[in-house]
Amino acid sequence: MQRTVPSLPLAPSVKVKLLHAGFQLATDLTDMSPLQLCKAAGISQEEAVEVLQMLRCDTQSHQERAATESITALDLLHKEQAQGSIVTFSSRLDDVLGGGVPVGKTTEICGAPGIGKTQLCMQLAVDVQIPVCFGGLGGKALYIDTEGSFVVQRVADMAEAAVKHCTLLAEDTEQKQALEELTVEKVLSSFFLVRCHDYVELLAEVYLLPDFLAEHPEVRLVIIDSIAFPFRHDFEDLSQRTRLLNGLAQQLIQIATQHSVAVVLSNHMTTRLLNGQSKLVPSLGESWGHTATQRLILHWEGSKRLASLYKSPSQMEATIQYQITVQGFRDAPDKLRPTVELCAVSSLSGNHSKRPRMEDQS
Amino acid sequence: VVLREGICPGLTEDFINALHSEDIKTVEDFVSCNPEELAQKCSLSYKALVAVRRVLLAQYTAFPVSGADLYQELLSSTAILSTGSPSLDKLLDSGLYTGEITELTGSPGSGKTQVCFSVAVNISHQLKQSVFYIDTKGGMCVNRLLQMLQTRTSNMEEQMEALQKIRVFRAFDVFSLLACLQHLRFNGLQQASVGGGSVKAVMVDSVSAVLSSMLGGKQNEGMSLLMQVAGELKMIAKDFNIAVLVTNHVTQDGNGCLKAGLGLSWSHVPRTRVLLQRVEIPGVLSSSLRTATLTKSSRQPCHLVEDFDLCNLSEERNSVTGKRKLESS
Repeated sequence: MQRTVPSLPLAPSVKVKLLHAGFQLATDLTDMSPLQLCKAAGISQEEAVEVLQMLRCDTQSHQERAATESITALDLLHKEQAQGSIVTFSSRLDDVLGGGVPVGKTTEICGAPGIGKTQLCMQLAVDVQIPVCFGGLGGKALYIDTEGSFVVQRVADMAEAAVKHCTLLAEDTEQKQALEELTVEKVLSSFFLVRCHDYVELLAEVYLLPDFLAEHPEVRLVIIDSIAFPFRHDFEDLSQRTRLLNGLAQQLIQIATQHSVAVVLSNHMTTRLLNGQSKLVPSLGESWGHTATQRLILHWEGSKRLASLYKSPSQMEATIQYQITVQGFRDAPDKLRPTVELCAVSSLSGNHSKRPRMEDQS
Repeated sequence: VVLREGICPGLTEDFINALHSEDIKTVEDFVSCNPEELAQKCSLSYKALVAVRRVLLAQYTAFPVSGADLYQELLSSTAILSTGSPSLDKLLDSGLYTGEITELTGSPGSGKTQVCFSVAVNISHQLKQSVFYIDTKGGMCVNRLLQMLQTRTSNMEEQMEALQKIRVFRAFDVFSLLACLQHLRFNGLQQASVGGGSVKAVMVDSVSAVLSSMLGGKQNEGMSLLMQVAGELKMIAKDFNIAVLVTNHVTQDGNGCLKAGLGLSWSHVPRTRVLLQRVEIPGVLSSSLRTATLTKSSRQPCHLVEDFDLCNLSEERNSVTGKRKLESS
């Protein structure tokens, strides 16, 4: 495979010297020894060895090799259908998201303070552990906490509610067997919690994530709550912030695709003044909005909590109402039916019973 | 190009060593020297020098082509690919032209990826040609492609055949993207056309995701990488008669107006640029209506606006267009 010298991932100063010496294609360099290269290009011995090592096919970086391999859309379709999604325990939200939070993509949850972002993140961390026979993924979760808003007692409450729910649903022997293993203790112990105090720690954690996921292949969900907090205060150079965030986003989507995990990020809201009017928009800037694959905005309307799907490659935009109960993140009660059924009826095997959706009148 | 023995008869190792002593290492250095002076300095025969020079010039020069030949070649090789949406085709002067780069920009959620999907589905199903889709953001969702195909035909075999013709590449950083583009340029595209069914479109969604983290600050490689990506895309478009479609993000300038990302240098690269925007209808939280504005074109007057609906890209919005244009202007 031919590569031009300027497109190789080498230090810019080394590349300039190589180009000066007249090397244009990677094939010009392959049959040279380090000493020859040293003399010809005027670079140091270590740099010459590095260049030649990089060119040897077996050390070609994994990402670059993957980039040249293609897959037809048909094969990708089968792969996509095999990958599951993580339910949110709110069947309306699952419908809007097309089954739940998708694996292999990044989902961003934006909302004002107190709307329920951390609640939803904790609910997802519990839901990913639901066994496969109940329609879940049976995997573990990695929770990267930057704000310090993670509370274990709340997760214990949610885990208990989830286990109770599964107990109600258990029908055949396989499900009953899986249920025996599913206890609150097991749910809490299948959780990896990392606390990052500033953006440097967060960047380091994401850098180390591929190795961590290679060691723990059962992790199916990575949550960063929140990604806005370390970047919002004490950052003087805004253009550097944009660059760091873009680089971070690309690393996260690469991790999501390569290791088949769902990445969930939570973001804050900020006020934008336009023509004398103020509007609440997701923070971290305009270019950050492009980086997540899916964007979910949680907002208030009077005393109702609404969730809107703002950006998605496969689902239509929609808004639904939800509520936070003792058991966790749930659908808001239907106004049409006086008896409130908190999703106990909906089966988790992916065929959600289609209840009449209430269109929000704004 | 480095001078090496064997690239032309007469270039032996002694010859090259003698030239090296005069600091002549590349073909360019050699042909720009005067052979008489060189013969005196290097103690090489004048005849040999002139012979080698003639061969090298013949091998490495670019030859001029007359305008008429160029025009004939263009007429016979360019194709116009319909995007599947009559409003967009009107904007683009009947579709995407092969041999050119077309760019789509817009805010998040404005529909860039959806339009790319629609174009890919149209080319693979309607025109029965292959499409290469380079995904840098993880936005490729084949279920959506299948949905779009299902609205066009209910024949399962046709749908699967169309999906067979779309190849997806994944590159998440700029060096992987360059590796992918160079692989396509040197091997991939020829292999694809040998296998039956030519490749008519290459899409990169999006180009700004991999480049924006390399530009600015104290980094001095960003512009070089941007220009390399541009060069690869242009060579692919021209040499293989392919329509290249790229997507870009938007940023806000000082006054709060939207402008396409990646700066002024990138703005010269695509031949045609289209800006997609949401239509704000008061009272409705979210609608699937969008407007497309032509911001750069060598064929149509700029600032033409067309409306379209993301849900029904193949439908023409005739009746509402007139009213919308009045409202937006």
